[in-house]
Amino acid sequence: MTFELEAGGAARHVESRGAQLLLDGRLVDVDAVRAGHGWSMLIGNRSYEVSVVERAPGDLIVHVNGRAVTVRAALQRFGSRRTQRETGIGASATGVQRVVAPMPGRIARVLVKAGDAVAARQGLIVVEAMKMENELRSPRAGIVAEVRATAGALVEANAVLIIIE
Amino acid sequence: MRKILVANRGEIAVRVIRACRDMALASVAVYSEGDRTSRHVRMADEACAIGPNAPRESYLNIDRLIDVARRTGADAVHPGYGFLAENPDFAAACRDAGLTFIGPTPEAIALMGSKTEARRAATAAGVPVVPGTERPFAADDPDEAIAAAAQRLGYPLLIKAVAGGGGKGMRTVANSADLMSGLHAARSEAGTAFGDSAIYLERRLVRPRHIEVQLLGDQHGDVLPFVERECSIQRRHQKVIEESPSPFVTSALRTQLTSAAAAVARGVGYTGAGTIEFLIDEAERFWFLEMNTRLQVEHPITEMVTGIDLIEWQIRIARGEQLDIDPVLANTPDGHAIECRIYAEDPDLGFIPSPGRIAALRAAAGPWVRDDGGAESGGEVPIHYDPLISKLSAWGPDRPRAIARMTRALREYEVLGIQTTVPFFRWMLVQPAFLAAKFHTAYLDELLQQRGGEPFATADKDEENAAVVAAALHLVSRGPAPTGVATVVARESVPVTAASKPGWKGRARAEALRA
Repeated sequence: MTFELEAGGAARHVESRGAQLLLDGRLVDVDAVRAGHGWSMLIGNRSYEVSVVERAPGDLIVHVNGRAVTVRAALQRFGSRRTQRETGIGASATGVQRVVAPMPGRIARVLVKAGDAVAARQGLIVVEAMKMENELRSPRAGIVAEVRATAGALVEANAVLIIIE
Repeated sequence: MRKILVANRGEIAVRVIRACRDMALASVAVYSEGDRTSRHVRMADEACAIGPNAPRESYLNIDRLIDVARRTGADAVHPGYGFLAENPDFAAACRDAGLTFIGPTPEAIALMGSKTEARRAATAAGVPVVPGTERPFAADDPDEAIAAAAQRLGYPLLIKAVAGGGGKGMRTVANSADLMSGLHAARSEAGTAFGDSAIYLERRLVRPRHIEVQLLGDQHGDVLPFVERECSIQRRHQKVIEESPSPFVTSALRTQLTSAAAAVARGVGYTGAGTIEFLIDEAERFWFLEMNTRLQVEHPITEMVTGIDLIEWQIRIARGEQLDIDPVLANTPDGHAIECRIYAEDPDLGFIPSPGRIAALRAAAGPWVRDDGGAESGGEVPIHYDPLISKLSAWGPDRPRAIARMTRALREYEVLGIQTTVPFFRWMLVQPAFLAAKFHTAYLDELLQQRGGEPFATADKDEENAAVVAAALHLVSRGPAPTGVATVVARESVPVTAASKPGWKGRARAEALRA
C-alpha cells in the first residue's frame, strides 16, 4: 500500500510492505499504537504524541508533540465500490489471475517480465493516478504469463495489465 | 447567604461555582440556548435557561436574571467579569430585588466606570493621572471642539470611550490628520459596545508599562492592596500574558503603587474586589489609568503568589465580614506566577477567531500549573461570546522557573478541531526581550509587525516525518472516506496488515527515520 502525500511543500511517499514501512523509499523503524486522542509513535527511540484531524477527505492536520503539520493526500473519485472489488484482492487467488488497473492512470513502472516466477504479494506493476502511486501485487505465487502494459502508457480502469498463471 | 446565582458563562462561571462549592454554598447557573451543554451548566447545583444566544437577550438581560434569582431562591448574585459585571443598573436591580450583589455598590461602579469621573477621583486622592481632557465629549459635541482640545493636549494621543474597557472604543492618533477618522471609529465602536459614544482624549505615553494593583475593600472601611500584576504584553490593547510580581517593580515602587491604589479606593468608599491600573515609564513615574470595578480575568496569578482566594473574599465581603488578611501576606509575593490567555484564534491568520467544535481537549496539569477553563472535548466554541478557552497559569519560585513551567504546560496543552493561541505563546515565551523582561505596552504589536508570514509553530524535520507517517496510518486505519464519494487512493493486492492489527507495529532494522 502506498500513499503520495504532501507536507511542508514537499511531496512525500509512504509505502507499507507487510510489517515494514518506507518513507520516501527508506525503511523507518516505527512503533505506532493508538493512545489518547490519536497515536503514540516511537521512531527510533524518540517519542511522538500524534493526533490527526481530517478536515476534509485527504486534508489532514497532524499534531505532533503539540505542533501542527498540514498533510494532504491525493484523492480520486470512484464510480462505485464494484470497481474496487474487481481489482487485486477482489479476484480469487487460484487459477489464471488477471491483474487489472484499479483506475484510469499511467503506468509508472513495470516490475516483472513475462516468464518471471513471482511470489504471492510480490509487486508487479505501479500505476499512477492523480499523483498517487499504486503498486499492484500478485494475488498468488505463479509465473508471469503476459505483460500487456509498458511504462509510460495510459490505461483505462479495469484494463488487464498482467496475467499470472 | 446560601445560594448564589452566577450571572455569567464560560471559565469564570466555572471558577465562581467552584468557590461556592468550596464554601458549601449552593450555585445557580444561567445559560443561553447554545450553552445548554456547557460546563458551567452541568457543574452548578441548579441551572436555568435565560434566552437566545445573543448576549443582549440572555446574559445581558437584567430582568431575566433577576427573575431566575427569584424563582430559584438565590439570595446573592455573582456577576463574574464582562457582561453585566460593571453595569450599575444591574447592581441596583439586584439591590432593589433584595439580592446581595457580590461586588461594589452601584454608586461606586457608576463613578469609577466613567473614565473621566475616575480620573477626578484619582486626582482628589493625590494620584497623578495621564494628561488628558478633564471632561468627556458627548456624542453631539462638535468635532472642532475636540480638534482644539487635541491640539492643546498634543500628539500622539489616545481617543478613549468614557464607558470603555477591554480596548474597545479606543484609537491611537499619531497626528492631527488622523484625528477625525480615529474619532469616528472610536465613537461608532463605543456606541455599539457600550451604548454610549461619549469619548475623551488622553496623551499617549511613549513605551509605558501597564501595571495594576488588585485590592479588596470591606464594608467596614478597610482597603487592602495586593502585590502588583504586570500586564504590558498586550495585542491591540488586549492583555495576552500577565505576571505577578512585575519584574520591573522594586519593593520601594511597590509601596508607592499599593499606597496610591489604596488611597483612590478609600477615597470613593470602595467595597469588594477591584483593580487600579497604572501606566509607568522608564523613570518609574506612574499615572492612574483607570479602575476596574470587578474581578479581573487575570486574578489567578495574584492568588498563586499570595495564597489568597479572591472569590472567596468577594463573597465574604459581600456578606459583611471584615478583612482579616495580613497586609504583609497580600503585599509580598511568594515566588512568581504567569498567565497565558488561550483563545480560540488562529495566530497564523492574524489571530482571526476560530470557533467550532473542539474535537479533543486535554488541559495541562502537573506541579504548580493551574488551568481555569470552561471548554472541553466535544464542546463548541460559540461565535457569540468571547473566544477564551482557558487561562493557563504557572507558578515558580522565581520568574525563569515560572516561565519554564509555563513552557512545559503549553506543550502539554492539547486542543484539536479548532485553532488556538498556544503556538503563539510557545513562540512568545522564547523571545529574548520577554525573557529579559524588557517590554512595554506596544512591544508585542511591534514585534508582531516585524514578523513575516512564517507560522508560529514550526515542526522540525523529525516531527514533520512523524506527521507524514501518522497521516498514512490514519488513512489506512480509517478506511474509505465516510461519504464514499472521495476516497483516498490507496490500494493493495494483499490483505491490510496495518489496520487489522491492534496497535500497528512496523519495525525495520536497517535505517531509522532520523537522518
